[in-house]
Amino acid sequence: MARFPVFQSPFLDAAEKRMGSCENKVHCYMGDDTRPLSRILAEDEAEVNALGLTHEAIGHRLFHLAEQAKKGLGSPVVVEDRFLVAVEAARGKLSCPFGHPGLFAKTHVVLVNQKTGESLVWSDLSMHLIAEHGFYQGKGSPYRLSPKKIAAVLGLSRASH
Amino acid sequence: MDNAFLPAGAGLLILAGITSILALLLEVADYFFQDYGDCAININSGKKNLTVKGGASLLSSLMDQGIFIPSACGGRASCGLCKVKVISGAGPLLPTEAPFLSPKELQDGVRLSCQVKVRRDLSLLMDEALFAIREFSARVASARMVTETIREIRLDLMEPREISFKSGQFIQFHVPAYQESSEPVYRAYSIASAQADSGGLTLLVTRVPKGIASTYIHEHLKPGNQVKISGPYGEFYLRDSDHEIIMIATGSGLAPLVSLLHQLAAKGSTRKITLFFGTYRPADIFYRQEIEELGKKLPGFTFVPVLSGAKPEDDWKGETGIVTAPVKRLLEQHPSTRDAYLCGNPLMIDTAVKMFTENGIPAERIYYDKFA
Repeated sequence: MARFPVFQSPFLDAAEKRMGSCENKVHCYMGDDTRPLSRILAEDEAEVNALGLTHEAIGHRLFHLAEQAKKGLGSPVVVEDRFLVAVEAARGKLSCPFGHPGLFAKTHVVLVNQKTGESLVWSDLSMHLIAEHGFYQGKGSPYRLSPKKIAAVLGLSRASH
Repeated sequence: MDNAFLPAGAGLLILAGITSILALLLEVADYFFQDYGDCAININSGKKNLTVKGGASLLSSLMDQGIFIPSACGGRASCGLCKVKVISGAGPLLPTEAPFLSPKELQDGVRLSCQVKVRRDLSLLMDEALFAIREFSARVASARMVTETIREIRLDLMEPREISFKSGQFIQFHVPAYQESSEPVYRAYSIASAQADSGGLTLLVTRVPKGIASTYIHEHLKPGNQVKISGPYGEFYLRDSDHEIIMIATGSGLAPLVSLLHQLAAKGSTRKITLFFGTYRPADIFYRQEIEELGKKLPGFTFVPVLSGAKPEDDWKGETGIVTAPVKRLLEQHPSTRDAYLCGNPLMIDTAVKMFTENGIPAERIYYDKFA
């Protein structure tokens, strides 16, 4: 897809380059999404707005559930009588592709909504990317969390935040 | 066209575009045309002298020469394990490696070997124990699910046919390129089998949602397949002592602790040993029979599964809650001189280390392998 005229800032260009530097395209932040980063961000922003939510509210909800999951020290725990959550660990750390300093542990939360059977998986970095950058990752990325799916699985709505 | 009519900022954008194109061209030229020739790598003041073809990463150049630096991410600068001290020839520090290095390491010239490109002669310092690490080809002898998410893989070594390792150590499993991964990757897995069992290895692999390596091992690896591993790695192994032992594991973190139990049993140990295993429901307690068999050879051994999700229909009479709770009770009610061995979720390990140090077990007697 043509990238000109360029509406992306040099900052987003740098972030997109860092995301694209992963040689294994299947497991990249952008997945097989051919849209420029600015468009991915804009379309997810519109989806979040249509849901009556904010990136911060979604990130905060994921963070709250992650904190509850951490109390199990790796074993699954039931939260709010409907979510089975567990923190699982993989060796390694990840840096923020937008250039924030520091590293994010590769630990991730696995959540199952016990009423619907639907599940979500997110990492410490995913929460940061959503809350700080409004980035839910590209389509085809195995770690993409679409705002609609998050809202559906967690039961988020305009009134709930 | 008169440049005076360009909108504000357009010049900057054009300049940024030209710069990006030039940078891209340089990268392409570097990849295709740059020939760095042969480069010399001097390790530990001449203890080893290698000649490699320049242009590849230091990690892969060393690997090609049979020196295996621990790396759990396969060169993506996400695990931070592949550190080596570079005395000269490394080139500038990259932003990808800087976050993994402490101020002391930066001062000492420590670098991530996966991010250092060999472009000229290099001089390195590294632990000579790494020289003993070998690459092995192996055949999958058997594979079975021990819980819903943990698969046990038994490997028979083919070349070399034997491995010498200490119970508690880990190997790196080479996952070849397959439909979920366009390039090979490496992942670290602890050895669950006894160190006396030198002709093969048993590994326990937890399925990580969307994980490249665990998806391959769970869904694609079949008995009879040939694989490559390297090892042994790690500083988590049994220390000589007469102290009582507390072990805590969660999930596949049970693997190295079972290997330690094999070693203690082989030595005829009479030490008091308590293994706490944190999991969810009774069906998730794997290796129970094997652990009970080991217990028969270890007169001071007690196995304490701790379930966080036992249901009334499970009719569970054992410990419940988080795994560290009964350990805390033991420490408070029965003070003793103890060594601690921990493996599993980093949250459990952080909690347990804090609890042990608050209850009189000094940090130097707490040994752990943290999945982090």
